[in-house]
Amino acid sequence: MRMTGYVPGAIVLWAICILFILVPLASFLAYGFLPVVDNAIVYEPTLDNIVNIVSNSSYRTTFLRTMLLAFEVSVFNFVLGYATAYFIWRRSPAWRNVLVIALAIPLLMSYIIKIYAMRGVLGTNGLLNSALLALGMADEPVSALLFNLTAVRITLSVVLLPFMVLPICVALERISPQVLQAAADLGASEIQTFRWVIMPLSLPGAIVGAMFTFVLASGDFLAPELVGGIEGFTYGRLVFSQFGLAFNWPLGAALSVLLLVVALAVISIARRLSNPRWQS
Amino acid sequence: MMRNRFIDLPLAAVAVLVYVSLYLPILLVFLLSFFSMRRGKVNWDSFSLSWYAKLFENDALGGALWNSLLVGSLAVVAAACFATSAAILVRSRPGRHSARLLEYVIFLPFLLPPIITGLSLLIYFREAGVGRGIFTITVGHTLFVSAIIYRIVLTRLNALSRNLVEAALDLGATRMQTFRFIILPNLRMPLLTGGLLAFALSFDETMITLFLSGTDATLPVRLYAMMRVGFTPTINALVTLILGFSILLTVAVALAWRRNAGPAGRTSREGRT
Repeated sequence: MRMTGYVPGAIVLWAICILFILVPLASFLAYGFLPVVDNAIVYEPTLDNIVNIVSNSSYRTTFLRTMLLAFEVSVFNFVLGYATAYFIWRRSPAWRNVLVIALAIPLLMSYIIKIYAMRGVLGTNGLLNSALLALGMADEPVSALLFNLTAVRITLSVVLLPFMVLPICVALERISPQVLQAAADLGASEIQTFRWVIMPLSLPGAIVGAMFTFVLASGDFLAPELVGGIEGFTYGRLVFSQFGLAFNWPLGAALSVLLLVVALAVISIARRLSNPRWQS
Repeated sequence: MMRNRFIDLPLAAVAVLVYVSLYLPILLVFLLSFFSMRRGKVNWDSFSLSWYAKLFENDALGGALWNSLLVGSLAVVAAACFATSAAILVRSRPGRHSARLLEYVIFLPFLLPPIITGLSLLIYFREAGVGRGIFTITVGHTLFVSAIIYRIVLTRLNALSRNLVEAALDLGATRMQTFRFIILPNLRMPLLTGGLLAFALSFDETMITLFLSGTDATLPVRLYAMMRVGFTPTINALVTLILGFSILLTVAVALAWRRNAGPAGRTSREGRT
């Protein structure tokens, strides 16, 4: 394909990108500097919002709590996801297909529906409580399962699991059988093969999965809103509330800049880590 | 490799936990749309379709469903045009700095937390004086699903031999003819797969849409409003119907994917060597 003649196309494509992706992002960044006086936005940039955020300890606590939560969910899912992907990979090809599709199906189910469904599991009359009662592990329904941070943790972990398992499955699938054959010929045990061959080759996939999990968990406001109750207040909810009840869009924009910075940092770290030298 | 049987058990345990946690909640909603529950146990004698009947009395839901289908179709068509052109451009000059930058920008709305994509478009449209509605939701969804279609189309283009295009051009075909008769026929399956996947994503998108919908709510936004009010079995019925539709879409995607992966998968391997 030669380059001439593609220039007008490139201009149109870049125009769309600038108009609908870059300018909105820029206007969102700029909004963070606008003060609000008497419920109206004043178009004279100040650092009011930034000062407000830095000096407000409850914003800080919410931010740190949410980042910790996203980190916990990522680590937890990393372990579960690796084990599951490895389990799938060890099956016969036919089984593998079935198991991978079974993982992908929930991904195409409405996010909000999955969160709602978790309420039925975690609630006082929910499935988990019934199970605990039936097994005699609790004498009366445990109300501590819903409407707090633990509920948010469990829910996010469940709804984001496919994002972790699928990239690892893809990475495992790409490992050439010859490499495994070589390891076997050299007398490596399965644990040695996993440690020195399979893990280094599939880690990039796991890192991509962890990145997805962290970015999605850190900015989520639907799960905290629907299963978190008052206790499960997260940074995403804080931002979203500025666009609803509080109606302070500039503050909301300024607050989410922090989220954007974290997301971009995590994405670029993951890009670096998942592109090791031996792959390129 | 020597299979270590002792590893199987803990791995299987984790995998079972994962699959159960993915499917059990959904199964529960499905059951509760037909049966009532008492003291944490499903009452099997209480089968009824009354919650479904209630759904059809709710006019707002019909409107929301229509909005979802409309936005999904428009967004898929717009994203297919945009993403395919971008993929062709990037493929035609690989390694170029501008091409890699374009790719990065296209991925942004998909990679960034949805809350940021949503609120940046909200602020942008407000400042541009565009009222919230079908148009704004469609723009949001188009940007969100473009990355998926782009990725799938680019993978196919990369598998396509450059010689084919060179040959067409050498034989005097115009650029339009080359696109129409050489490139496009090869993109039919990836566009079908990507389009279905994009439609499914658009149909379920909630967070970006919450920012961009004014009074024109899509189905998930409508659901969100209902869920915030509380539990009603009508929601279970609605959720079951949406799940049914999502599963149909998923099966369609899976079938398209297999047909896509069949011949294309082979050529992609040949193409790489």
